[in-house]
Amino acid sequence: MLDAFIDGLYVVFQWQTFLMMLLGIFLGFWVGLLPGLGGTTTLALMLPFIYQMTPVEAFAFLLGMHSVVATTGDITSILFGIPGEGTTAATVLDGHAMAKKGEAGRALGAALMSSLIGALIGAFALALAIPVVRPLVLSFGAPELFMLAIVGIAFISSLSGQGGRALLRGILAGLLGLLFALVGQDPQAGVLRFTFGQLYLWNGLDLIPVLVGLFAIPEIIDLAVRGTSIAGELPGENLGRGVWVGVKDTFVHFWLTVRCSLVGTFIGIMPGLGGGVAQWIAYGHAVQSARTSEERTGFGKGDIRGVLGPGAANNSKEGGSLIPTIAFGVPGSSSMAVLLGAFFLQGIMPGPDMLDKHLVLTFSMVWTMVVANIITVVISLFFLNYLAKLTLIRGTVLIPFILFLAFIGAYTSNNHLGDLLVLLAFGFLGYVMIRCGWPRSPLVLGFVLGRIAENNFYISTIRYGPSWALRPLVLVLIALTVIVLFFPFIRFKGRELTGGEVS
Amino acid sequence: MKTSLITFISLVLFFANAPSYGASLYEGKTITIIVGYKPGGGYDRYARLIAKHLRKYIPGNPGVIVQNMPGASSVIAANHLFSVAKPDGLMIGTFNNATVVAQLIKVEGVRFDLTKFAWLGSAASDAVILSVRSDLPYKTADDLRKAKQFVIGTTGPGSSTHDFPALLKEFAAFDFKLVPGYSSSADVMLAVERKEVDGRAGSYDSIKPFIDRGLVRPIIRNRTTAPGIEKLPVDENLATSQTGKLIMAVNAVPTQIYRPFVAPPGTAKDAIKILRDAFANALKDKELLAEAEKGKMTIDYVSPEDALKVVAEVLGQPPDVVQVLAKYIKFGD
Repeated sequence: MLDAFIDGLYVVFQWQTFLMMLLGIFLGFWVGLLPGLGGTTTLALMLPFIYQMTPVEAFAFLLGMHSVVATTGDITSILFGIPGEGTTAATVLDGHAMAKKGEAGRALGAALMSSLIGALIGAFALALAIPVVRPLVLSFGAPELFMLAIVGIAFISSLSGQGGRALLRGILAGLLGLLFALVGQDPQAGVLRFTFGQLYLWNGLDLIPVLVGLFAIPEIIDLAVRGTSIAGELPGENLGRGVWVGVKDTFVHFWLTVRCSLVGTFIGIMPGLGGGVAQWIAYGHAVQSARTSEERTGFGKGDIRGVLGPGAANNSKEGGSLIPTIAFGVPGSSSMAVLLGAFFLQGIMPGPDMLDKHLVLTFSMVWTMVVANIITVVISLFFLNYLAKLTLIRGTVLIPFILFLAFIGAYTSNNHLGDLLVLLAFGFLGYVMIRCGWPRSPLVLGFVLGRIAENNFYISTIRYGPSWALRPLVLVLIALTVIVLFFPFIRFKGRELTGGEVS
Repeated sequence: MKTSLITFISLVLFFANAPSYGASLYEGKTITIIVGYKPGGGYDRYARLIAKHLRKYIPGNPGVIVQNMPGASSVIAANHLFSVAKPDGLMIGTFNNATVVAQLIKVEGVRFDLTKFAWLGSAASDAVILSVRSDLPYKTADDLRKAKQFVIGTTGPGSSTHDFPALLKEFAAFDFKLVPGYSSSADVMLAVERKEVDGRAGSYDSIKPFIDRGLVRPIIRNRTTAPGIEKLPVDENLATSQTGKLIMAVNAVPTQIYRPFVAPPGTAKDAIKILRDAFANALKDKELLAEAEKGKMTIDYVSPEDALKVVAEVLGQPPDVVQVLAKYIKFGD
């Protein structure tokens, strides 16, 4: 095993392989920056190029590309408030808020460093999980996946503010998200729901136009209304020096970064939960780590921890999502489904063989993710300071450019006019929500988890009858949901009382 | 003045006649293959494979690109090809093979008539099979008939994972319990692995790796066959009624034109001829076949005449039969 571990590193550094990986990184870098053009699509477009490659080269190329996408996606999210990838939307909340405070450099530094740590932990988890992956994945059936989705929504809802009113708004936003997830042909009876006779809506609302609308459009409006640059009228001299501060922040909150990485890895391992979920749960965890209620209200207004959490998780989940793909031949996400095609092209059968006959290849994948992320982060650190200066460009000059990116990004998901309408509708909704003080993250999570929750609930009930609710792991998760919903009340009541006594 | 008029007329005549010369028809042009799904799926992979090799067989060596037009289980793409795409010989497309069912049962939003397309044929056929977990004692269809509440995971009505076992249950007296709602066929396979479900139906191509690995064994197939499963019992022969037999036969049609390729109606005859020949020849191309084998994609050319015959046969069913069909066969991915 150890031999294979070292051999895996060795093959990554053979020059042909290394060259392929660099090529992949270069591509992934741009794909990540551009909103809409996602890792999955690019993987699919790159498949024909791997016919001539050896398996190690092919996966160095594909994974090299895929593993930097989430890293550079954070950059777009922070600078412009447009999610660079579907998996980097949570970074917008605090990352872009920091950019508006003139701390773009710091946010970028933190995002990149936490991405690196996340990637390392994800890859490390992949290596460690290899012996135990089968029982772990197999212990999560439909009932457990349903409860996991419920825990996720409850968790985010409870964290979106304090007090009963905020909690209620959080839960309502989450439920609204679930409602949006209902659009389209339902998978149980094939009935069309909320499609209003539009073919476009048959397959449901697409994540990218929804996200770009919810997050980018309100920022663009805000920028236009303010009439300044993104960083406002603030003096620009601190802007470029923030990168190292951000890097240091990652180590100040080191354990938070590690915990969020583990969250990301776990969600990545669970097939069917999908890549969009990890960032939000990690964001929720970061919010939860706030010790006082004042600290908590700072989230969404530019708290560095709100950047670190999702930054780490959206990279660590990649290592995690490789696990079911490798061990069972069952892809954990849509990009992994494409990667499965690459396995076949290379004449390799994912499954138990990967942990035995092809162990060196498996470890070379682990190493590719590690090395690719190190290279990306190191290179990026050199010019982040210049990137941060983009936030000083006058809004009137920047807005057409950002708007263009947002529209193109949304349009690439289906190449359909409907994408733009969805973008605008959710842009309006996002703006209204901000103005009225409603949290957007529960809505997104409800939307992302809606299908998962519904399908697994249905499967559980049909398959097991009501008895599924008594499975041990389900009971644990139900308890967790209750705790998550009521914990904030208990905890802050206690805190504020003691706080009152001291002052 | 006169000379320029003559030049003008001869120019017009030249260009007007140009399309009848194969080479100049496609010289310096680009052919677009419209795919009804996003990049990465089966339809997309076939289109890209064919795009790569098609140009070799078209005089004038045009470029061939793939354009994805996802949505509504590819009804959007089929509608587009039928009424929007220019029939200039530069547009071809591939979409859900079950669109024939969509047209038959008059799914809302369908604006195409499959019999009017200029068919190029189909690139593959694919058997649908029912497989059961290897650790269960059922080895034959007769064994399986004895099973009570045999649980089959599916991705929902309209997919072969669902409709195939649903028809067996309805018309061949199998006691199946269908559990729809899994997000993909790979997801159902994972449910098989964790013993949440006992079996899964679906395309033989997609189940084969798991048969090879010993996770499941094939039990029943539909009328389309593939090397290795010729001897399996065919669902139609297990049906207990004539109606059942007929519905199963109709349900098997999409698998016979598994990867359909068409050009818009009204495409010029000479262009169609060039495209048809190129399509047929590309699918015999050694390099294409080698790449397909590597990617575990079956290539099995079906001629345009045969494809159209199969489609017309289904669409020619009398209304009372269609009514029964609509009850059991839904349209979906």
